[in-house]
Amino acid sequence: MDQLVGDLLAPRYLAWLLQGFGVTLALSAAVCLAGTALGLAACSLREVGGEAGRRAVAGYVGLVRNTPLLVQLFVWYFAAAALLPRAITVWLNAPHVLNLGVGALYWPAYETLAGFCGLTLYAGAYIAEEARAGINGVRAAQRGAALALGLTPVQAFRHIVLPQALRLAWLPIVGQYLNTIKNTSLTMTIGLAELSYASRQVETETFKTFQAFGIATLLYVGAVAAVEMAGQALARRSRPAGSRR
Amino acid sequence: MTLSVITDNLGYLLVGAWPDGPIGGLALTLILSGLSGLVSAVLGLILGLGLAMSAGATRAALAVGLGLLRAVPIVMLIFWLYFLLPILFGLSVPEIGTVVAALSLVGGAYLSYGVAAGIESVGRGQWEAGLALGFGRWPTLRFIVLPQALRAMAPSFVNQWTALIKDTSLAYVIGVPELSFVAAQVNNRAMIYPTEIFLFVGAVYGILCVSLDGLASRLARPRSVTVHRA
Repeated sequence: MDQLVGDLLAPRYLAWLLQGFGVTLALSAAVCLAGTALGLAACSLREVGGEAGRRAVAGYVGLVRNTPLLVQLFVWYFAAAALLPRAITVWLNAPHVLNLGVGALYWPAYETLAGFCGLTLYAGAYIAEEARAGINGVRAAQRGAALALGLTPVQAFRHIVLPQALRLAWLPIVGQYLNTIKNTSLTMTIGLAELSYASRQVETETFKTFQAFGIATLLYVGAVAAVEMAGQALARRSRPAGSRR
Repeated sequence: MTLSVITDNLGYLLVGAWPDGPIGGLALTLILSGLSGLVSAVLGLILGLGLAMSAGATRAALAVGLGLLRAVPIVMLIFWLYFLLPILFGLSVPEIGTVVAALSLVGGAYLSYGVAAGIESVGRGQWEAGLALGFGRWPTLRFIVLPQALRAMAPSFVNQWTALIKDTSLAYVIGVPELSFVAAQVNNRAMIYPTEIFLFVGAVYGILCVSLDGLASRLARPRSVTVHRA
């Protein structure tokens, strides 16, 4: 065991790992927020957007779910760059800083944007499906009762079906947040310096494989466990009094 | 759109350097999917039975292990096995073996919960009937509970296999020349046709996943049985 672990990692390398972890957390949070918005919008379009809306969302979800995330990231990183007008690509690849007096805001690098877009579209499709399953889980009688009370179909969906469906879909959606944290590791393939990328860099520089991968693994497990527990705590708090679910 | 970049490299995308070199491309993706599909099914059954049949400390230890496998990104698991397998076995393990081991462990961990749920979905009455007829615990499981449970588990196996086909692309991170890796190679060589290459590769994966799904629902239809929940 001793020869496996060896000396402790130098602070410099620990800092690399923590920096990578910070990128992983920030990217995950941004993707979860945007992916939830996208997923709920797609799910709503499917429910109230008529035949065209239903087809468009089904096509989007089918495309995302039947191809590997890695290939989707390559499409965003390589193909989107080739398809965009040259001026835009050049602007996106150049660094941009917004000085705010108290601090500077950096426009994200191209691989960060590509990773964010790919992961958000991916998470959005899965969240749309979880939300749809939640809607299907709300009994049809609920909608019928709302319509009988004089609500329009959109009002019935917005005020009666959606709140109940979200309660049903919440834990599966949290499951997608956990997947998102893990999925950010794939962005290392397009050069985003997140936790997996950092762990491999530290490993290459120090040959302290056990520590580099061990610390990264602990950080992933910690983040996943924390989000899972927070999600469950929220589910418990939002449960209406007297409900059996 | 220029399709010549696809047609010119079609052989390389489909079988890699084979027959002059190691097999790669789509063929290797299929080999990786098949092997890890098989091993993950066996692992999933064993671990799922373990979850359903064990209790107390054994079950808790098993649950922690499975939880860990599901909490770690597959990329990290591939890195770990790439480093640990040669140390554990004292010999060099081919990259393909590393990938199959990682995908099988993750697939098995996810499947085990489906297997355990399938076993639990078979009514308690079936267990009691088996035991009352003089069967032991294991024969009851083998001849009475499992045949019924497998039907309830079938969808989770198909879902997991579809996920496995997509996850074989992660072999990219240790340079295994499967479909995604050779596509990236072709892209680096051609430089100017990324859209054509990656849309083509995406379509190939899509056809694989959709046909596995279609095959499964066709197989499931003729003998669709209502699963009675206890």
